[in-house]
Amino acid sequence: MVEPQLKRDLGLLRTTMLGVGGTLSAANFVIIGHAASLAGYAIIPVVIICGVLSLLTMFSYAELGTAIPLAGGEYTFAKVAYGGFTSFLTGWFEWLSNMFYGALSAIGFAYVVSYLFPQINIPLTAVVLVTIFAIINLRGTKESATAETIITIIVLAILGIFVITGWSYVQATPAPTQSTSTIGLLGIFAATAYLFELYLGAEAVAAAQAEVKNPGKNIPRAILLSAIILIALYSSIVIVSLGIVPPEALSTQSSPIAFVAEQALGPIGAFLITIGLAIAGLAATNGAILAQSRVLYAMSRDGYLPKGLCKVHKRFCTPHIAIIAGAVFTMIFAATGFVNFVVYAVNLGFIIGFSIVNFSLIKLRRVAPHLKRPFKVPLYPLTPIAGIAASIFLALFIDPSVLVLGAELVVVALLVYYVRLIGQNRIRIAFGGISLGLGSFLLYIAYSIATKSIQLQGISQEFNSIIFYLLIFVSIVQVLAGILNITVSDRRR
Amino acid sequence: MRVRRVLSKTVGVLQATIGGAIMIFAFLFFYNFFNVQEILGASPVSIGIYLWISIIFGLLSIISGLFLFYER
Repeated sequence: MVEPQLKRDLGLLRTTMLGVGGTLSAANFVIIGHAASLAGYAIIPVVIICGVLSLLTMFSYAELGTAIPLAGGEYTFAKVAYGGFTSFLTGWFEWLSNMFYGALSAIGFAYVVSYLFPQINIPLTAVVLVTIFAIINLRGTKESATAETIITIIVLAILGIFVITGWSYVQATPAPTQSTSTIGLLGIFAATAYLFELYLGAEAVAAAQAEVKNPGKNIPRAILLSAIILIALYSSIVIVSLGIVPPEALSTQSSPIAFVAEQALGPIGAFLITIGLAIAGLAATNGAILAQSRVLYAMSRDGYLPKGLCKVHKRFCTPHIAIIAGAVFTMIFAATGFVNFVVYAVNLGFIIGFSIVNFSLIKLRRVAPHLKRPFKVPLYPLTPIAGIAASIFLALFIDPSVLVLGAELVVVALLVYYVRLIGQNRIRIAFGGISLGLGSFLLYIAYSIATKSIQLQGISQEFNSIIFYLLIFVSIVQVLAGILNITVSDRRR
Repeated sequence: MRVRRVLSKTVGVLQATIGGAIMIFAFLFFYNFFNVQEILGASPVSIGIYLWISIIFGLLSIISGLFLFYER
């Protein structure tokens, strides 16, 4: 398939702003509160470490992005380097990460706005926001790097005002009471795994390589510049915040930075910061919905997912089914309103994606040494290996329930992949057998309840009977489904 | 053949619905919405196991149900 030629009109400034703007989300300034409770004052070095760890993999993105001039990011890199299940898994997690990131951005927006309007319902606001942007994306959005640059500069200007005036306030007023709570090394590591999300999105620089002037020079420079700007921005915000209020005070706020701004600058400060972060939240939600629908579209186009997902709307020329499918999942997770769970889910997805990008770089250096590389990762192979090691280390500190979810998503990915690969018939027969087994097992449980071999404690006799009949019903459905799946005729297979 | 098609679609919808209901129940159970954990007297240790069983059962039922529903 021939990739459409895009015009190379992004200079260093706009490319850098893509990287900075890609990471700026309202949620980033909400999660700082919980991170402060994990790491205390050590959150300042944690923010810097997260930036450096992210930069390790950004170099790999830069090399692969300029060497493989095709759209698709990590999914394309893995397809070229490994193909098969690895590229499918990469696309799968790229989609999931963007889907979780969309949910997180929407929840972050709701939390930020709730600082000014405490009566709003967080999950409902997040779901409404996802719905609005899904509709906007359905109707088609003309991506404009100029608009992104303007939004990023506005948000940076507001945050810059916050840092400068906040710093003046810190200098003019006595320091807040220092926290006496002790934070262990584990708390610092946990905060690092949690705050890794701060820098996600900077890979947009490599993804836009087809539109960057002189990509061999501008992409690595933009990646380095955006990393420096973001590290300086986040660390100065955290330094100023902790100079005004102790970490414990941050962790209890729905919008910690707005709270700090209110302490230093009064209600106008809180209002200004809320507006800035809300704009960032809207842009991030829109970007994530757009990105995830395109990943679904690309995977469907490559035959990894059902063909329906790559259908393009006749009137709006957008992949409407992919947008709707992705938006539904985003809404489900946005409806939870659980920031921490979604943050870890985003991090897990990107940690897996980052690892595969680094592995792809190492593999392509070995199997395709003559590939034209306008930019090469410095200190190879130490940089990608350090990136992989950092990813594995961070994964150890991710919330266990998210790791369980991640393992299940890999199992689902395996199922989806092999259904496409070996055809439905064998999988159907296998599922038929499983359904028969489940049905028989449920019948046995129902029998045990009837004969009082199993006694449900604290449940009335009436409710016991309801459970019994429910089990009988479910087991009949399972057995019937098993028989129907197993006895599917050859013609249908 | 027509009877089989109707039966497959009906059982498929039922099985997928049961799977979906179990997944929703797992979600409610894990996050203890409506005090489900207390009502069922689940100990903290058993919560993870129940969650695993529910999610796997739900996923298998949904996929199996979809196979039947989309049978040609």
